[in-house]
Amino acid sequence: MLNVIKFKRIRRAYLAAFLVPSMAVIFLFFLFPVVLTLLIGLTDMTFSFEWHWVYLDNYFQMFSDRWAPKILFNTLFYVFSTLALFNFGTALLISLITNHINEKVGAVFRAIWLLPRITPSTVYALMWLWATRDEPTALFNWILTGLGLKPVRWLWYNPPINWLVVIAVNGFVGASFGMIIFTAALKSIPEDYIRAAKVDGASGWQLVRYVELPLMKWPLMFVAAYQTLSLLTSYEYIFLVTNGGPGLYTTEVWALYSYHIAFSQYAGGGRLGYGAALSTILVAIGLIMSVIYWKLFRFRELMIEPKIED
Amino acid sequence: MDEWYSLRKLKLARIKRFLSAFVLYSILILLTMPIVLMYLMLFLQSISDELIGLIPRRLTLENWYFLANGYIKVPGTAGTYYPNFYLVAFNTFLLAITVGCLEVLLASLAGYAISRYKFKGRSQLLALILILHSFPGITLLIALFYVLNMIGLYDTLIGVLIVKVALDLPLGIWIMKGFFDGVSWDIEMSALVDGCNRLQAWWKVVLPSVRNGLMAVLIFGFLSGWSEFIYVLTFISSQKYWTLSMLVKALTSEEFVYVSPGVTAVAAVLYMIPVVLFFLFAQKYLLRIQIAGKGAL
Amino acid sequence: MVKVKLVDLHKYFGKVKAVVGLNLTIDDGEFVALLGPSGCGKTTTLLMIAGIYKPTKGYIYFDDVIVNDLPPKDRNIGMVFQSYALYPHMTVFDNIAFPLKLRKEPKQEIRKKVREVAELLQISELLDRKPGQLSGGQQQRVALARALVKEPNLFLMDEPLSNLDAKLRVTMRAELKRLQKQLGITTIYVTHDQVEAMTMADRIAILNKGILQQVGRPEELYDKPANLFVAGFIGSPPMNFVECSLNQKGDDYFLEGEGINLKVNREIGKIIVSSGVSELILGVRPEDLEIGRAPDTQSITGEVYVLEPLGRDVIVNVKVGNNMLKVLAPQGFKASPGEKVALKLKMERMHIFDKRSGKAIV
Repeated sequence: MLNVIKFKRIRRAYLAAFLVPSMAVIFLFFLFPVVLTLLIGLTDMTFSFEWHWVYLDNYFQMFSDRWAPKILFNTLFYVFSTLALFNFGTALLISLITNHINEKVGAVFRAIWLLPRITPSTVYALMWLWATRDEPTALFNWILTGLGLKPVRWLWYNPPINWLVVIAVNGFVGASFGMIIFTAALKSIPEDYIRAAKVDGASGWQLVRYVELPLMKWPLMFVAAYQTLSLLTSYEYIFLVTNGGPGLYTTEVWALYSYHIAFSQYAGGGRLGYGAALSTILVAIGLIMSVIYWKLFRFRELMIEPKIED
Repeated sequence: MDEWYSLRKLKLARIKRFLSAFVLYSILILLTMPIVLMYLMLFLQSISDELIGLIPRRLTLENWYFLANGYIKVPGTAGTYYPNFYLVAFNTFLLAITVGCLEVLLASLAGYAISRYKFKGRSQLLALILILHSFPGITLLIALFYVLNMIGLYDTLIGVLIVKVALDLPLGIWIMKGFFDGVSWDIEMSALVDGCNRLQAWWKVVLPSVRNGLMAVLIFGFLSGWSEFIYVLTFISSQKYWTLSMLVKALTSEEFVYVSPGVTAVAAVLYMIPVVLFFLFAQKYLLRIQIAGKGAL
Repeated sequence: MVKVKLVDLHKYFGKVKAVVGLNLTIDDGEFVALLGPSGCGKTTTLLMIAGIYKPTKGYIYFDDVIVNDLPPKDRNIGMVFQSYALYPHMTVFDNIAFPLKLRKEPKQEIRKKVREVAELLQISELLDRKPGQLSGGQQQRVALARALVKEPNLFLMDEPLSNLDAKLRVTMRAELKRLQKQLGITTIYVTHDQVEAMTMADRIAILNKGILQQVGRPEELYDKPANLFVAGFIGSPPMNFVECSLNQKGDDYFLEGEGINLKVNREIGKIIVSSGVSELILGVRPEDLEIGRAPDTQSITGEVYVLEPLGRDVIVNVKVGNNMLKVLAPQGFKASPGEKVALKLKMERMHIFDKRSGKAIV
């Protein structure tokens, strides 16, 4: 009898040894901050970290914040444009094309498209900043003038061109996610279907439209959903390239606004409370969508689960 | 009538095939060009004094001279405006390697337990991990800022380390769990029968069988730590703790005024090279992880 | 309808030579089987004819036009795959209609043709279902329908019956043959099952390791195999092979080997001598051996090893020297293991092969 209890205690001890380190870290620095964000959002905390409760005042302030509507619009515009043009659109295009041409060549192109994602963000931003400078010696304007066109002021006081740059900067990184998933999906279509369709008389485009795309329904939905959340909450590249400008919030998105409110001197910074409230909205959306993914795409995650067999 | 097979048909088919290949390749090249050109530009700038578009005015290696002692000189000032390059590189490496190692350790411990043990709340834990790994961690920046300050880990690399590990762990655990699921019970059983306790069996027998997974998580963690920017920006205030991401950002913002673009390019290239090399050699690991993971954007 | 001609066809995958120097003509309306073991190149050849693989060397003619560069969609072929390859996301109707839809035929026409073909193959009730809801046999008919609906000039089939159960296979064999005769479409049929090939094809092309072994009508391959491979592949139970050599004693020729002392007639003897081959292999089919008790110079002596009754016949395993020969005996044959028996064979039913090259001498 005693042995059984002792065995159970030992077992529990080992289990703890295995789980506790990870769980402690995740709890303290992941789960707890989720709740904390909500709580801080109910205060008007500053860098002195005082818990001064203002409850829902921050949220009311969002409605009267003169920049909020513009930033909200920016955010939605940014998310859906980048998704349609790059993270989804270009990703699909690249994976379809590289799958229909010579495999080795296709693999090289896909490898190039992975470069933006793996390059450290500040280096990547550096390249874009240099390429989009106003001088005719900068890369893009150099090409334009070489073609006989006039140089463009890519980033400065030139909407919607600066938006184009912001979308492209994020898009070239974002496209590789969809590209990988779509490519995997395409390669998993049994060869016989492709052969049968070719014999039936399908041209390349008909093959894509009637056979490949219909068989890719789930990956298409997954990428669209996943990337939407990703774009909604990302701001690193915008921060590095335009910092929400030029001028007042022309390319500012919601997540970046929260960051500026909290940490930037110029935006009347140090307002952790208001910033947290802004973040809470994103956190809530993030939680809801993550749960939805988990429910809907559980099996898809299992499929994507890496199985590296040598 | 039934003229199915004619030379005319053949010619048409040939033309059609050429045209479609032309269109496909054109689109592909047009889309991919910007990337290629920009990387070319960066590399060329590192070995030139000034670039006109993609053409160097003069090829030179003087941009690389600062590597003699690591100090980036600012013309017109006597002092060292920027932290020493080697110090920054070391910080970056230190952060990256500890992130990788810590992630491997914690993820393989937890992944093993979830894979092997049945306990109350196991499926809930699994669900939590799945939900967390698609959750965008950077929304928690303010709360993390608060926590680090409270614990006294603000302005330390350890703070950044723990935050990175915490946010990467759900993915790492998921990966390791997957690997452990694929290891058969037999070798463990024989180890346990031979007298090992659970931890010893895990260390001596099970871990070696999931070497690929360990490598994958290590590499992923290393690269994640190496490229980190936002957390370093927000949680570090002393220059002596800067990582290369901060240095490159500083050089970018202030170049042409203080530092030549050539030097900036060198710093950027050196920062980027390890990642590209890793990528080339460890491709299969990385690709799979990026799919499941928070490659962020 | 089309006449297909393969001229010096080669297909290499890197270092692997899947098809080597294949020359074959398939006449208009003919049913030709490509027969051989796995990996012999028959499916590769079929895929080249379909246009899915491009030949490494050589030419494919459709009616005297070289079609090497013609894409599959322009070749007007109907093909049935071993896996059927029915589009899982489309209904049976849409699957069958697909080739017509791709040709942008008007909806009325499509509906009419699909119904006709469905009638022909007796699957009219299945048109609304999805492939996943069908049995193997039904899927196969849908695959056939899809291949036929476009009224192809050439009909290609890659082991279409191998995923069906034995009974269904036998039924479908007859049906496919009848269908082909009725429609008169040139057909090329790939299989590894020699019974299928023998029963269905007008002519059979046997391949091994990418090389054509022999082409001919089923009876030709059966009666006059060109080499060891063909002899051993065609016929069930397979031909018996025994090593031997020819000895001349005066005017008489004898085949001698373990347990064998056979007198052969002079013409045969002279042919063998003139071929210059000394190491021979004697081949004789189980059904061409008669079991008796009295040995003579026309028979092989051996010992009964075991009997395998099949119901209709009995397969008698006879030990001759170190070889085991199988003999087909009539129903009711009885013998006990160890009994000495004499196997009589007819000169005309005997085959002699060169041991080294495998080629048939007689």
